[in-house]
Amino acid sequence: MEGVSYQRFPKIKIREVRDDYMKFELRETDASIANALRRVMIAEVPTIAIDLVEIEVNSSVLNDEFIAHRLGLVPLTSERAMGMRFSRDCDACDGDGQCEYCSVEFHLRAKCINDQTLDVTSKDLYSSDHTVVPVDFSDSSSSFENSENKGIIIVKLRRGQELILRAIARKGIGKDHAKWSPAATVTFMYEPEIYINEELMESLTLEEKREFVESSPTPVFKLDENTYQVEINDAEAYTYDEEVIKKAESMGKPGLVEIRAKEDSFIFTVESTGAVKASQLFLNAIDVLKQKLDAVRLSADTVEADEQFGELGAHMRGG
Amino acid sequence: MADALYPFECRQAKLTYAGKFLVDIYFQYADGAPIREKFNFGQFPVMLKSKLCHLKAADDPKKLVLYKEDPSEMGGYFILNGLERVIRLLILPKRNYPMSMVRNSFRDKREGYTDKAVAIRCVRQDQSAVTIKLYYLNNGSARLGFWIQGREYLLPVGIILKVRDPVGTQLIGERAKIILDELHNLSLFTHAQCLQHIGEHFRPAMAGLENESYSTVAEAVLRDYIFVHLDNNHDKFNLLIFMLQKLFSLIDQTSMPDNPDSLQNQEVLLPGHLITIYLKEKLQEWLLKVKRLLQDETDNRTKKFELSSLADVKKVIDKNSPRHISAAVENLLKTGRLVTQSGLDLQQRAGMTVQADRLNFLRFISHFRAVHRGASFAGLRTTSVRKLLPESWGFLCPVHTPDGEPCGLLNHMTSSCRITSNYDSKGNVRDFLKVRMSILNILVDMGMTPSLPKLVQAGPPKVLSVILDGRVVGSIPSDIVGKAVSHLRRLKVAATSVIPEDLEVGHIPLSMGGAYPGLYLFTSASRFVRPVCNISIPPEENNKIELIGPFEQVYMEISCPDGGDGGRKNVFPATHEEIHPTGILSVVANLTPWSDHNQSPRNMYQCQMGKQTMGFSSQAINCRADQKLYHLQTPQTPIVRTKAYEKYNIDDYPLGTNAIVAVLAYSGYDMEDAMVLNKSSVDRGLCHGYIYQTETIDLAEQGIKSDRSQRTFGRSNLDKSSHQFIDIDGLPYVGQRINPNDPYYSIYDEHVQKANIRLRRTRNPIIGDKFSSRHGQKGVCSQLWADVDMPFSGVTGMRPDLIINPHAFPSRMTIAMLLESIAAKGGALHGNFVDATPFSSSIKKNTGGSESESSSLVDELGSLLIARGFNYHGVEVLYSGVYGTELTCEIFIGPVYYQRLRHMVSDKFQVRSTGTVDQVTRQPIKGRKRGGGIRFGEMERDSLLAHGAAYLLHDRLHTSSDHHISDICSLCGSILTTSIIKSQKRAVRDMVGDLPPGRVPKKVTCVACQSSKGIETVAMPYVFRYLAVELAAMNIKMTLQLSNGSGART
Repeated sequence: MEGVSYQRFPKIKIREVRDDYMKFELRETDASIANALRRVMIAEVPTIAIDLVEIEVNSSVLNDEFIAHRLGLVPLTSERAMGMRFSRDCDACDGDGQCEYCSVEFHLRAKCINDQTLDVTSKDLYSSDHTVVPVDFSDSSSSFENSENKGIIIVKLRRGQELILRAIARKGIGKDHAKWSPAATVTFMYEPEIYINEELMESLTLEEKREFVESSPTPVFKLDENTYQVEINDAEAYTYDEEVIKKAESMGKPGLVEIRAKEDSFIFTVESTGAVKASQLFLNAIDVLKQKLDAVRLSADTVEADEQFGELGAHMRGG
Repeated sequence: MADALYPFECRQAKLTYAGKFLVDIYFQYADGAPIREKFNFGQFPVMLKSKLCHLKAADDPKKLVLYKEDPSEMGGYFILNGLERVIRLLILPKRNYPMSMVRNSFRDKREGYTDKAVAIRCVRQDQSAVTIKLYYLNNGSARLGFWIQGREYLLPVGIILKVRDPVGTQLIGERAKIILDELHNLSLFTHAQCLQHIGEHFRPAMAGLENESYSTVAEAVLRDYIFVHLDNNHDKFNLLIFMLQKLFSLIDQTSMPDNPDSLQNQEVLLPGHLITIYLKEKLQEWLLKVKRLLQDETDNRTKKFELSSLADVKKVIDKNSPRHISAAVENLLKTGRLVTQSGLDLQQRAGMTVQADRLNFLRFISHFRAVHRGASFAGLRTTSVRKLLPESWGFLCPVHTPDGEPCGLLNHMTSSCRITSNYDSKGNVRDFLKVRMSILNILVDMGMTPSLPKLVQAGPPKVLSVILDGRVVGSIPSDIVGKAVSHLRRLKVAATSVIPEDLEVGHIPLSMGGAYPGLYLFTSASRFVRPVCNISIPPEENNKIELIGPFEQVYMEISCPDGGDGGRKNVFPATHEEIHPTGILSVVANLTPWSDHNQSPRNMYQCQMGKQTMGFSSQAINCRADQKLYHLQTPQTPIVRTKAYEKYNIDDYPLGTNAIVAVLAYSGYDMEDAMVLNKSSVDRGLCHGYIYQTETIDLAEQGIKSDRSQRTFGRSNLDKSSHQFIDIDGLPYVGQRINPNDPYYSIYDEHVQKANIRLRRTRNPIIGDKFSSRHGQKGVCSQLWADVDMPFSGVTGMRPDLIINPHAFPSRMTIAMLLESIAAKGGALHGNFVDATPFSSSIKKNTGGSESESSSLVDELGSLLIARGFNYHGVEVLYSGVYGTELTCEIFIGPVYYQRLRHMVSDKFQVRSTGTVDQVTRQPIKGRKRGGGIRFGEMERDSLLAHGAAYLLHDRLHTSSDHHISDICSLCGSILTTSIIKSQKRAVRDMVGDLPPGRVPKKVTCVACQSSKGIETVAMPYVFRYLAVELAAMNIKMTLQLSNGSGART
């Protein structure tokens, strides 16, 4: 088997891109790559999130830990994150989060002075770095003007209550804490291939056809109202629940449809928290994955790898 | 009210919520005008939201909040030293109802007694009670037994009959002769002689009547001990005759004994009644003591004391410490112990109160709904008292009882059950006399023959005795009883009638060998009642809800929507109907969704676990100073909930989180009821919680202990090291983070003070914490599993919050949990709450009637999922989070309401390397709190032996335990006679100079042998030496024979 290359050249076709949403096809690769991408996007693409909170005054109803926890979960725009240092690796500041290379400082100062409850939101967080700010969720695409966009509520204050704090945001990855995860959801499915056995299908009565179409909870098939033919409506709506196959069997027509998952093509859905744009998230994920592979390759080349990986290291070097 | 003390202040300052107890004492000299004097009887504990409580005025939630209470504060408990305590509801025998019973212990009373008796617990208007038993004797006579001062007195019935009815005794046929013959044998022929006889016997037993005449004593005995609920001698006589009839019917086997364990013959001891009778007894004691003191003072001629001078008398009264009475009541509430000589006719003297701990709302309200059978039954080896009897249907919850030792003894009232009191539904005090009179009039109108003008009473077949609150009021012909009963019931329900709505109309019909027949009416307080629908009332009357008691329920025809005709066919048409089948469940049991789909023990477990859940314990958490409060950071309302959930506003005190639960075997960490939590979910706040711990530092108390007065909190200005922890007032900075061993208060000598320091401990889920669903499915977190490694749905990308093993279901059959998962998924997708009230299907069948209702619950829930493109059965295709490949089977996944239980590893772990040892044995001590070890016991020893791990065994049991090296004299074989000789060379050694003093071998000698020749050192467990010492103390000498290894054979 010497010299045989398993190298493949995956192709990507982007179907839809929005700031916080992306749908694309990934073809000519296998589940391991697809899943690696998913895992990296969720857990290993770095973002910036509040990690250290010094509370000066807190007379609100929520306790310090609660507020700190809520602050941590506020997504911050993290385009800078890839270039930043982890504060544990930062030489400039010994990792205490004081330098610009690894941390961003935030201030929050709010006091309720009238009888109306005051909502302290992510908009009240003042950043020392204009590139790292709480994510703005005001939907610019929506036509009607929604002036009442307030951001994420952190705590509500009543008359006389006050909250003053200093927070330090740091770079981190979702593996350490979910607040650093840039992805709300990343998922993929195998692209289904559906074959309708037309011959068998024609043997069904109209009523049976309708029943068959309705047996799937998702609109995979449809019945053409003119020709009374069962057609594929949306193959990707198929959830692999095999409801239609079971239905076919219960009607005594096994093999009425055949559905197979294409082993090498995937449909990805990426939803971002807003920290990084969905498209950027995917690119960052590829970068991170590359870095990881580089790390493996680097260590694989060294002799220590033999100690570290043993036989596996030799395998990786092509032995 | 400027200086009023409010409950929240008592809670925080660890005070008792009490008010001044003032008593008017009347003095009357001869026939002079009575003088009224107020005396202070101390601080009497006040029940929250009672008439005298400050919160009584706060009728709406806003005012309660102003007083720093929960907006839904219900009161009903006391605050003693800052602790909230409730008086337990206790089961007592039904008052004023003669109960026939068979007990073998009666035979052992004296020679000639049988095992049969009729007992009646007579209760006065003031709630004090005396129980009387009528024993049957082998010779056909009977004895009346009652207790005075811990001794049972037995009197021949004849005497009482004669005393009561001076004219002469009629009736009771041939048996009368036996009874009367007995009197002849005692040579008691007349009324006066009988009085004399009783007086003679009881004079020594009656306190305070030692100097009275025999007839006065006899009258007192009859008044204070025999049928105390009746004042009239005729009534007493009639009741005694009735009891004799019942007794003889029991003997003749024409009636059955009553079951004392059945709710039919039980009532409940209310907190107010307990305090009343206790106070009454204490006042009586006190008055007797005052009398004695005054007597002593007047007898004592040497002192100047004028009985006629009020000032002198008051001085004596004040000397008798009237404040002790309030203190006694407070002590009762604090400890739950009754300090009484008479016993108050109660079965137990301890455990009357319990602390109402506010772990969560369910636990708190359960304290008020719990009914205990009595501490005396807990020790019983028989299980009959613990049985769930059909008589308790609708009154006691069949589900809500703990498993284990108090099972069946500690029951909980159903959500619909109530207890009658001396107040009517409008809050006015009842006039029982008036009520009884009007009932009597109605009965006479219906055809009852009143019993007062004496008539010969015929036996049960033709007429039935009518007994109203333990008084035989007359007899009614058997054929018109039924009509009378339904008429009374109609009047009960009618709003305008004087008949109380909770009148119990117990009609025991004639039967062959059944319960003794009669018409028993009860108006008294402390009975169980519950509402049912009276369907025999014509529909034009708007109120059809009738309150029924357990006594009458047994003889009523009540249909239940879930029960069909109950096997009664059409012969006995139902006269009543259950309002809703869930009325048989307690408040807590009512919260379990679809509990009718679960195996019943699972519902019981849930009732237990619901009460151990971390949740919102109180809304006024900042105004409380409980020792420990558990608090959930982000609780949620359940998507699937019963009607009771909204009815009881549980949303004010939520107790869990809707977690996405996947049922699959994944990672292997979900075996044996372990569960895998998603780490990212936990990061985002799933089940985060706190413990609020309050430490009260009372310098006044500390000062008393250490004999140093006048200390206050403060900070030393000289020592600045503690300034980062402690503020200028000597207390920690508010919000200060405190690590273990940090100081958090400092003391400075000056004034006296008290402080509550509240510590908050974060308790986020970690491995080893306990969780449970609402279906008795508890589990321990075994891993916080990385989000990316969790299985995910290809369609939605969802990862579960929590994974449980499918093996949790087959044997436990908690179908409702599966239903909940499906329903919650559907509800979440549609944005609705889903109603999960149990037994609702049977209600629907009854009202709907059409065949469209044939669809099952699952169909209903499944179609919700189908409508949103999900699988009908609630399963989904998941992909492995690790490999990205499709899992080979579809996974059942959906939201389930999960509760976090208060058992957490952080409170439980126990580790020790070295530490304190026992003083006597020098072995490591036990107990987690004291830093002890875990016992390496016999069975553990056995397993090491079996492995042949001898060194390990030696290490555990000897080296790491009480290893000891002892000197033994091999000549005399004793380990106790050796003693170390102090070396004399010490001075010499010092002179050697630079050389370090070498270790001189210890010189040991045997005191007994006067030589150190045979001294050997031997390693042994220290307890062995202790054994030798103990034996020596018993004059037993232990001799050891030493040998080297090879000589061991000899």
